[in-house]
Amino acid sequence: MVNYVLRRLVIAAFLLVGVALVSWIVIQLPPGDFATTYQTFLMNQGGTTQEQAEAAANRLRAQLGLDQPQAVQFLIWMKGIVTQGKFGYSFAYRRDVGELIGERLVYTLILALSAHAISTLVGISVGIYVAQRKYSLSDNLASIIAFVLASVPRFWIALVIAYIMVFTFNQHHITSFFAPQYVMAPWSPEKLWDFIKHVWPIVFIAGLGGIARNMRVMRGNLLDVLGAQYVTTARAKGLEESKVINRHAVPNALHPIIAYQGTVLPYMFQGEMEAAIVLGIPTLGPLFYESLVNQDIYISGGLLFIYAALIVLGNLISDLLLAVLDPRIRYN
Amino acid sequence: MAATDPSTQKAPTAQAPTEKEPTGTQREVANDAALHEAKVHESYGQLVWRRFRRSKAAIAGGLLVLGLSVMAVCADFFSPYALGEITLEDTFIAPSRVRMVDVQGKIHLWPFVYAQELAINPATFEPTWSENTDKMYPIELFVKRSEYKFLGLIPSRLHLFGVEPGGKIHLMGTDKFGRDLFGKSCQAGRISLTMAIFGTLISVAIGSVLGVTSGYYGGRIDNVIQRFVEFVNCFPQLPLWMALAAIVPRTWDSFRIFVIMALIFALLSWTTLAREVRGKVLSFRETDFLLAAKEMGASDRRVIFLHLFPNTLSHVLVILTLTIPAIILAEAFLSFLGIGIQEPLVSWGLLMRNAQNIQTLGQYPWMMTPVFFIIAAVLGFNFLGDGLRDAADPYATM
Repeated sequence: MVNYVLRRLVIAAFLLVGVALVSWIVIQLPPGDFATTYQTFLMNQGGTTQEQAEAAANRLRAQLGLDQPQAVQFLIWMKGIVTQGKFGYSFAYRRDVGELIGERLVYTLILALSAHAISTLVGISVGIYVAQRKYSLSDNLASIIAFVLASVPRFWIALVIAYIMVFTFNQHHITSFFAPQYVMAPWSPEKLWDFIKHVWPIVFIAGLGGIARNMRVMRGNLLDVLGAQYVTTARAKGLEESKVINRHAVPNALHPIIAYQGTVLPYMFQGEMEAAIVLGIPTLGPLFYESLVNQDIYISGGLLFIYAALIVLGNLISDLLLAVLDPRIRYN
Repeated sequence: MAATDPSTQKAPTAQAPTEKEPTGTQREVANDAALHEAKVHESYGQLVWRRFRRSKAAIAGGLLVLGLSVMAVCADFFSPYALGEITLEDTFIAPSRVRMVDVQGKIHLWPFVYAQELAINPATFEPTWSENTDKMYPIELFVKRSEYKFLGLIPSRLHLFGVEPGGKIHLMGTDKFGRDLFGKSCQAGRISLTMAIFGTLISVAIGSVLGVTSGYYGGRIDNVIQRFVEFVNCFPQLPLWMALAAIVPRTWDSFRIFVIMALIFALLSWTTLAREVRGKVLSFRETDFLLAAKEMGASDRRVIFLHLFPNTLSHVLVILTLTIPAIILAEAFLSFLGIGIQEPLVSWGLLMRNAQNIQTLGQYPWMMTPVFFIIAAVLGFNFLGDGLRDAADPYATM
């Protein structure tokens, strides 16, 4: 077991370095660098001449190490992330990117993980329910709904919800976590309720696709397991159907779902991102989108890295969880 | 099973005489024909079609895709107005209500629309369009209106429907340039669909090459490719797509942007396919027919292209149909955000771009209507892919 865990950890570490490298390459692809943005800013808003601006930009380059070769720059960037949690400097926010991301990461994780939890619970329960009623009305209905949910663009669902909330229920401040009176208030049940009132569309939208996926996987697995001989044996011995399902079939059908969690997690983050961008709720999604539009490269690169790192982490956790549950995997 | 066994053996031998002597005892012929029909050799394609046909959803999906493709190709014909036309006074006309019953409650046998009238809102000075119920325009089919070149070649003036000049018919309203959203949505299918198909084809090419190589050669190569697949899978698709799309220079011409966007979408979509193809190839590697081919001295190239790849083709096709909707959705979102396709190209997502502003959306909710084309396309491909998945392995029992 220790061996297996160590091996997975080493692989994860290598993946993280690779992911960081690709994020770095992506943010270095556009022409110009951080100092060029500064230079144009000085010329447009500061009213300086081109020479002055260029001199200032060069000073900034030397200060941030942007005049170094790419490899050195990458190492500096990596060192900042690992040792100090610094991802570079945001031009639009005039702050360290690490702090910016840190603030929003908590909310993103809360939203994505609750969407994940809800979609897993609901998806698995519905999957178990319909697998016992193969080709019945409820089964067909659930499949059709799952299909339609997977086909509707999430950004459009977000638009519809925003439209209904603003123009039907007259709910304003949809683009924040709290109504103004709660922003500075300490946490209380009312504040929590207000929070839920603001973020439910994101959890809902991110979770929808997950419910559909989990349901289909669970239904398929359970149907496979229900066809196995030991289930027939259990029934033949006169076991109650509920016990056959819950004690014998479901635990064995759950394994693929856990293995599959690693792939569902990025899906949740993407759903959260898509919904949050459209609704403008300040999580990582809108920050990422703005940074891309404004060419705020350290935010884009940092976030790309964070997203990928979260997925690597999610995969690692699901691998380890699976190893705990299934001895065949850890000795393989 | 035991009862049919002798007869199946009989069937091929019995077939020749029955064809030569059609006057043989009627009953025997009928019997033979029935047996013959059940056991006649059907090609793989026929078997797949037979099973595919059984799924109504798959057929419906195929028809949806076909319909959208026809609408995209013949967009000029389906659109009541010229596609490139920008009429600035026609901005933000609400979708025309096609009526059968007029305001007096009289029922008409033929659908019609009321005239549209422009009025300036005295409070905000905003031009607003409203229906003028005094004048009605019956909808005419196959009308001759603005000229266009059918398929870019044949000059034509024929449109599927329209109203007499003076009246306006916009089934989905108009946007801020006064363009008919219905016609534009038909046209946008050209980009949205071809980009998805083009991107998918590239990803299929990458995925099959790597998958076959990985499965066929095995060992070190397999290990390297599989680790690479895992690495690519680490990247969240949407953020990386967004990041790459955002750095495409806006100054590029449309064609280059189109190609580069398709490449970006292909870049992260091939991994599932590579895995599936590898699995398939691995299972075929140990089969007798492959061993026979190798023993007879077939080269690697011959084995791969003649024996292995055709056998994985069904799975490739299934994944292909399921990758297309994913790219359609991603492209729509990126274009909706303004970092995807650029004008003068149009895609479904780009048409909805104005809906991003909640104020605009509130005033002109019909800016969201192109979404129905997206839903139809995605649903169509999903149903099609699902039906194909069941049909791709026609030897399995259901």
